[in-house]
Amino acid sequence: MHIPDAFIPLDQAIVYWIIVIPFIALSIRWARQEMDDMKIPLLAALAAGIFAIQAMNIPIGMGTSGHMVGAVLAAIILGSPWAGVLLLTLVLFVQALGFADGGVTTLGVNILNMGVISGFVGYYTFMGLKKIKLSMPIAAFGGAWLGLFISAIACSIQMTLAGIFPLVTGLAAMGTYHAIIGVIGEGAITAIAVTAIARARPDLLSQFSEEAVTA
Amino acid sequence: MTGNNSGSGDFKMIILVGLAVAILLSVLAPFLASSDPDGLESAAEGVIDEHTFAELEESEPVMGAPMPDYAIEGFGKAGEIGAIFIGSIFMLGFGLGVGKLFEKKN
Repeated sequence: MHIPDAFIPLDQAIVYWIIVIPFIALSIRWARQEMDDMKIPLLAALAAGIFAIQAMNIPIGMGTSGHMVGAVLAAIILGSPWAGVLLLTLVLFVQALGFADGGVTTLGVNILNMGVISGFVGYYTFMGLKKIKLSMPIAAFGGAWLGLFISAIACSIQMTLAGIFPLVTGLAAMGTYHAIIGVIGEGAITAIAVTAIARARPDLLSQFSEEAVTA
Repeated sequence: MTGNNSGSGDFKMIILVGLAVAILLSVLAPFLASSDPDGLESAAEGVIDEHTFAELEESEPVMGAPMPDYAIEGFGKAGEIGAIFIGSIFMLGFGLGVGKLFEKKN
């Protein structure tokens, strides 16, 4: 879902930057309050892991592939949607400048979609599903799926505003592909990773335990 | 893991897990990853007229990058492994640096 430079006119790209900069600033404020001996290595490991997993495009049929975004996983592990914003800002920055994956002018809109929208929608969906007593893997799957899907819908609307996608067929195509990518690439991997971490290190996810969530 | 050094043990363990995931994916991705267009590109191909799509496809990024498309020119699969590996190790250091920079003061 990395939008290249040519897909969005510069004036619109600047508007997305203006929208996303306060979110990046708030994610830094979150980091200043949270970074400790446990969260610093988690931030680093997630940065490396998200970068690497984004290189793993999974075929979904129809001549299309997709990869995990990772903001929801980051938000769940670090316990805040701001973690997703900060991590995707770091990853997308390096991808754009080092690997020409996503444009430099469109870095703002890409952070907005994959960091802010995917991270916030996914994290709060996860929390909501935990509140109604769904298990950790199902809540993680649901959050990750919806986070990716809504960010793809946002991306499609931005393409329409940019004048390159017709509204309805754009939404249908982006929605269909990302509904599938969301199941395999985002939902399943997030659920598996969260389950593995909950087994190996339950202390890391203790704030989401039954008692903590229902309290 | 005992008593007072459990903190630093955790630190190393988490970094090592990150490193292991990065190495594993760098080696596997060039062979396993699909080269089919991603969801956005596929959607673009389907809903934009051919001429405009071709123009968009050929457009150059505003800024050049040292390892475009996760590859190192002239090194084939080894270059792809190298590019993803270099990128993930850089991310590990970048993440550590940012984490340290914003470390909360006691």
